[in-house]
Amino acid sequence: MSLLEVDDVKITYRTPDKDVHAVNNVSFSIEEGDNYGLVGESGSGKSTLAKSVLGLLDDNGEIRSGSITFNGRELTNLSEREWRDVRWEEIAYIPQSAMDSLDPVMTVGEQIREAIHTHKDVTDAAANERVEEVFDIVGLDPGRTEDYPHEFSGGMRQRVTIAMALVLDPDLIIADEPTTGLDVIVQDKIVQKLMEIQEEIDSSLLLITHEVGVVAETCDEVSVLYGGKVMEQGKTFDVFNDPHNPYTMGLKNAFPEVDEFDENAISIPGSLPDLVEEPTGCVFRNRCPFATEECESAHPPLVGDEDQASACYYNDRADELQERAADPETWGIDVPEDDEGSDVGEVIVETDGLEKWFEQSQSIVADLLGGEPNYVKAVNGVDLDIREGEILGIAGESGCGKSTLAEVVSALQSQTGGDILFEGRPVDDLLDEDTKQFRSKVQFIFQDPFDSLNPRQRVRAAVSEPLKVQGVEPEEIERRVRQTVSDVGLNPPEKYLDKHPDQLSGGERQRVAIAQALVLDPRLLICDEPASMLDVSLKANILNILREMADERDIGIAYISHDLASLSQIADRLAVMYLGRVVETGPTEEVVENPKHPYAASLLEASPRADPSIDRQRVLLPGEPPNPVDLPGGCNFAPRCPKATDKCRQEDPARSEFADGDHEAACFYPVEDIESELLARYAREREQADRESAANIAEHEPATET
Amino acid sequence: MSFQRFLIKRTAIAAMLTLISVSVIFASLRLLPSDPFSGLVASGALTAEQVTQLREMYGLDEPIYVQYLKYVRNLFTLQFGISLTQQRPVGEIIIPALMNTLVLLLPALVVTAVVSSVAGMYAGWNRGSKFEQAGIVVTTFFRASPIFVTGILLLIVFSYGLNWLPAFGMRSPMANPQGYAQTYLSVDFLKHYILPFTATVLFYSGDFLMLARNSVVERKGSEFLMLHRAKGLSEMKQLARAGRNSLLPLVTYFALRTGMLFQGVITLEVVFAWPGIGRALVQAILNQDYPTVQAAVFIMALAVIVMNLTADIAYAKLDPTIKAGDV
Repeated sequence: MSLLEVDDVKITYRTPDKDVHAVNNVSFSIEEGDNYGLVGESGSGKSTLAKSVLGLLDDNGEIRSGSITFNGRELTNLSEREWRDVRWEEIAYIPQSAMDSLDPVMTVGEQIREAIHTHKDVTDAAANERVEEVFDIVGLDPGRTEDYPHEFSGGMRQRVTIAMALVLDPDLIIADEPTTGLDVIVQDKIVQKLMEIQEEIDSSLLLITHEVGVVAETCDEVSVLYGGKVMEQGKTFDVFNDPHNPYTMGLKNAFPEVDEFDENAISIPGSLPDLVEEPTGCVFRNRCPFATEECESAHPPLVGDEDQASACYYNDRADELQERAADPETWGIDVPEDDEGSDVGEVIVETDGLEKWFEQSQSIVADLLGGEPNYVKAVNGVDLDIREGEILGIAGESGCGKSTLAEVVSALQSQTGGDILFEGRPVDDLLDEDTKQFRSKVQFIFQDPFDSLNPRQRVRAAVSEPLKVQGVEPEEIERRVRQTVSDVGLNPPEKYLDKHPDQLSGGERQRVAIAQALVLDPRLLICDEPASMLDVSLKANILNILREMADERDIGIAYISHDLASLSQIADRLAVMYLGRVVETGPTEEVVENPKHPYAASLLEASPRADPSIDRQRVLLPGEPPNPVDLPGGCNFAPRCPKATDKCRQEDPARSEFADGDHEAACFYPVEDIESELLARYAREREQADRESAANIAEHEPATET
Repeated sequence: MSFQRFLIKRTAIAAMLTLISVSVIFASLRLLPSDPFSGLVASGALTAEQVTQLREMYGLDEPIYVQYLKYVRNLFTLQFGISLTQQRPVGEIIIPALMNTLVLLLPALVVTAVVSSVAGMYAGWNRGSKFEQAGIVVTTFFRASPIFVTGILLLIVFSYGLNWLPAFGMRSPMANPQGYAQTYLSVDFLKHYILPFTATVLFYSGDFLMLARNSVVERKGSEFLMLHRAKGLSEMKQLARAGRNSLLPLVTYFALRTGMLFQGVITLEVVFAWPGIGRALVQAILNQDYPTVQAAVFIMALAVIVMNLTADIAYAKLDPTIKAGDV
């Protein structure tokens, strides 16, 4: 008997007008000790399924039919009281956004103890001891259990929620996108921790994610969901190595890999079906390039064996389809004839020793005594340039100063030191002369397409607003708005111009945001993580539009992201930032294939791979970036760098310390071999730390636990 | 930022505000075109010499900055001077009136803050329920009708109609209690107390109910409540967590309201003939009794400032993130 069996489950949400059929006839089962992955994009029903296993469906959600059994016990008809016993003690949950999922007014220890007290009759002292134990397991300082959530970083909060999930030794842990929103290096460490722990306590894991790479690297079995239906199911290796279903192929191909350059990214055209009716044909048919009339008739049944089953009428033609699916043209993407990406023009913007320091508040006494305040050096001596028709990728973890850099370069914030030259003239002069003129030349695209559009403005008003500000004639406005909206792929424009943002999908909204920026014909476009909130299949689309704009309109683009895979696809040059400094820069291909700075190398290695046949060693970079207020002397990365010497700790390496043509890295000892010089050392260091902490625990409580 | 620093900063700001408000009171009374005695000269009641004598007695012949310093010193030692019309210390006039007001309004406010907030949280948690809808309609009705209308209604029903409770004042005409204990701890007082108390509770209940409801509704979809639920907490415990996270706006509003209580509610006091501070102030203004007005206004300003300070401190205690940021 399996631990969890989901059998033919249908879940609907009641809405005022219609019912939404979120999950339709989904079945899967998880064996004891297994890792199971549910992969799919937003709206695929994966989170709904996870919540139904915990009885946490929203009030308007309802399991219409089918059964969910856990350890032989039927869950679908439990009362709220019976649920309370199952929750946490048997099935624990790691929520999606660690930032919001801890109660801000309770200490983390208190929140975990509460879980213990709810289910077990133990003393406070015993509960406390257990909390410290799980803190140690997930690699948090057991002395910090009485801190509040806001005192932890994002990665550490996620560790807290993992510790909370472990505390009662549950049989099944459901992790709902546990690493979304975390940086790659942190993600790698968290996933590693999860795997280790899970092996140790021998629980099962249900991992829900949209990241094909994470699933491919961690799960034994997987279900690929789309539109509330299972598209493909089976052993992870088989499913991703040799996908039979066109959707799996599209998803896998759309997932960017770090070392695939300049290929036109694949995106799946169209958008999700709205699911207001039960599917009558294949749910994927209207986006599938291989769909035929047969696909209209009914959703295809899952065909195959235990190792791999696919819901497609053309499973037998999988090989042929795979080949065609690898070609972007199959998905309706125009591949430009010749790669004109190398056609780079004059320098548009140049920064010289750019600095942005934020003053820290200090004590009143120190203020009065005229003490020198501390500064957060968000941007600290950055030299960069962006040319016409070029995309500069700026990579780095959150907190490295990349967003501040973007805002300073676009003059949304003023710099505290250094110069910004726009077309050879200082930005301050340009602003003094004609702010409007300058603003029209530099445009900004923000991260979140859901917040950056005014919900009360129709698309036409939103896109024409910048032109109105510039005082353009009404007819001219109308013409340019139509042209731009169509340029960003919203065709035909009439269909979109009168819509409100809430009638658009995430990808469409971000395209409106891009249109808003492009309508002024800017010279420079600064994009701050423009695709990070979008599903994989749409992400590629945005990247392609930006690439096209750079090539056709000869604008310079700064693309800021922590997602190296997207960057390597789109950027001509790459700059890697760490704590306010650019540590490595150069042509994308060279930096990615041959990184010289240990930090850049670690960052690149940490990107997960969608291809299950690649066995990647995890990057277990120790520690967290230091507090940017009191930085150590010398190289910023030295405290975490396995290669650091005394020289690194005393002297700050210049950016041209390593130089090979355009490729520069600020390191005295450039990396030659990532595997032996970095990854192996990280792993060794960690083992050592683990042994030490194990020894510590053994000292405190002799014997017991294995 | 440490809590200590936060505290010092906030207290310093409060002290500054107090000084400013005191100065404004002083300046605005000096800006009046006449002093309290010129009227007496015009009416022929006093001779010019007598007025000079009086001005000397009240210290009005001294330079303005000396007057200001003395005024500030006296205020902060709580010497409010002598009433011009009643010939007795101002303190004796306004302190009892203030006590009467506070005895009525403060318990009413506390009761309504607790009861309506809890009810509001429950309503927000069970959004769309009958309880929520009824709660909103009823409390909004009483919030929207002026307090004297509600008061008159209560009087008509319970005093004149049913004749259960007395309609006027704080005590029956025959009673003559000495001291606060005797005044406020008697059955007679209680009978006079019930109706104005009820009117006040009804009047304020809408604010707290709506505030509590709205902020629980806001919290309801949050991830951390989902996690609390996933941990197996009971419904009531989840509600308690949501409520705990909704306290900030309630505390702010409670503190603001408490500060304003010191002004009394003049319409309520008139309808129930309650000898409170509101009525005392209006009388003093009508009689041009400047020392009394000055003292009453000072106490009101001080109360608002002190309660704001209390709210700030309560904030820092309630929300652990506030200590971290500069507020």
